[in-house]
Amino acid sequence: MSSVAAPSKQAIKSLYHNMLRSSQSFSSYNFREYFERRTKETFRAMQNETDPNKLRDMYSDALKESTSLRRGAIVNQLYGGWKVAVEVPEKPEEILERGNN
Amino acid sequence: MLARVSRTVARRANVTRTLCGSRRSFVQPSGADRASVVDVPSTYQEENHFAPSPDMLGFKLEAPQRDSSATEQVRPIYLDLQATTPVDPRVLDAMLPYFTDQYGNPHSRTHAYGWEAEKAVEVARKNVADIIGADTKDIVFTSGATETNNMAIKGVARFHKEKKRHVITTQTEHKCVLDSCRKLSEEGFDITYLPVQKNGVIDLAELEAAIRPDTSLISIMAVNNETGVIQPLKEIGAIARKHRGVYFHTDAAQAVGKIPLDVNEMNIDLMSISGHKLYGPKGVGAAYVRRRPRVRLEPILSGGGQERGLRSGTLPTALVVGLGEAARIAQKEMARDHARIKLLSDRLIQGINAEVEQVVRNGDENGYPGCVNLSFSYVEGESLLMALKEIALSSGSACTSASLEPSYVLRALGAAEDMAHSSLRFGIGRFTTEAEIDFVVKRIVATVHRLREMSPLWEMVQEGIDINSINWSQH
Repeated sequence: MSSVAAPSKQAIKSLYHNMLRSSQSFSSYNFREYFERRTKETFRAMQNETDPNKLRDMYSDALKESTSLRRGAIVNQLYGGWKVAVEVPEKPEEILERGNN
Repeated sequence: MLARVSRTVARRANVTRTLCGSRRSFVQPSGADRASVVDVPSTYQEENHFAPSPDMLGFKLEAPQRDSSATEQVRPIYLDLQATTPVDPRVLDAMLPYFTDQYGNPHSRTHAYGWEAEKAVEVARKNVADIIGADTKDIVFTSGATETNNMAIKGVARFHKEKKRHVITTQTEHKCVLDSCRKLSEEGFDITYLPVQKNGVIDLAELEAAIRPDTSLISIMAVNNETGVIQPLKEIGAIARKHRGVYFHTDAAQAVGKIPLDVNEMNIDLMSISGHKLYGPKGVGAAYVRRRPRVRLEPILSGGGQERGLRSGTLPTALVVGLGEAARIAQKEMARDHARIKLLSDRLIQGINAEVEQVVRNGDENGYPGCVNLSFSYVEGESLLMALKEIALSSGSACTSASLEPSYVLRALGAAEDMAHSSLRFGIGRFTTEAEIDFVVKRIVATVHRLREMSPLWEMVQEGIDINSINWSQH
């Protein structure tokens, strides 16, 4: 699907949005954070890349990864999803009203 | 569209009803990219896999129920990455076809199922070879690093047992290496257990002095699983090369994919690789056995002669493919991961040192940053672990955690007995986040302060009394 010519800005943008959406749909906290951060880093690097050959390679790599990421997100939704301790908001200390003790 | 699954019962019931109600016409099966998966099949929910049976004597088996709301169970933060690592979703995605439709035996030569499985195994072999700089034909798949360590140490020693009766290893090796050496010493071999310096690195002069004319094998691990110390493999390989007939084996289970390894540059003859330390599946590993110059060893498993005759048995295609994919991903991400893990590790150590005093880091400062072993003075290790219920940590290695003995690795480093008991091992990996590190720092600081407040020894130290000078009276 990657053409011989350099990928268009539109194609890169839509791939980025697809991958970001897949990353955000992971149920497991660690995987979700990791893939979100990684997608943003990869596409930021692509944004700053000037060499068209390297850009084409990066785009085709990302394309191959996007399908595997989508499937991985689905499997993780089926089997993952309990909250990790760091996600649960901490209970504030019980505020004692007058007459509570 | 993909949406994060919410686990309330009402939402699920709604979706099931909608799906049953819609009318299906002539459609083509849609691929995974068209699926909008929001639910599992309804039959999945009713099945209670852990129905209590009458002979369970009233014990309640707490199986994590997937259908009950996820908010009830909160899982601890995982910081025990030296024990095992989570399987990367990309690795799982590569493995699943070999558990579903492509289930052929890679050694079947007569049909497409076998051929495609064999092709997948060869691709995995190439990926594993690339990460250590080896040739494809040098890699032998095994069931894990323990099997490889046994195969390498016992195999080489027994093959050369006529002329060579000496094996050199260190005191900080993994239990399987030490146990294999003990078995060899029962068979009549001489084993030298080299001591390590205070920072965990071996003394090269001592190693050179320990080599005898009848030494067949030197076995030294690349990265220690308890302290993260990195041994000078290049120098050790050079020493082994100088003496003819001495093979150099390294247990690189914790090192592969984390630090750059090159078997030719480091003159390594045998290497153990573990799948589940590399974000791959458990139950698979690999051995690197050099072919030029040929390393000969006596295989442990006899059978059909698979894997160059060194390890007979059907290869678990899915696991091997998982190992290969994990190695490929690790090769690509090594620099990125290492930089990030260094950042997180510094954050952890500085965060703890800023608030807590008298914390000792066991092991070399320049070891692998993803393994931080800290000892907290005047705090008991077990009570510290019990108080940190929301964090999955380990004190010492998983293999020895059942016994009450303090870790032999820390003892070899010269740590005092009470310091060895109060050590915690923090493992940081690819999937650890800053938020988790900050949470852990806050918890540790609070817990250590609380435990120290309760400790009379700490009180005495604060008053300036030297604990070692106290003459404890016997009652």
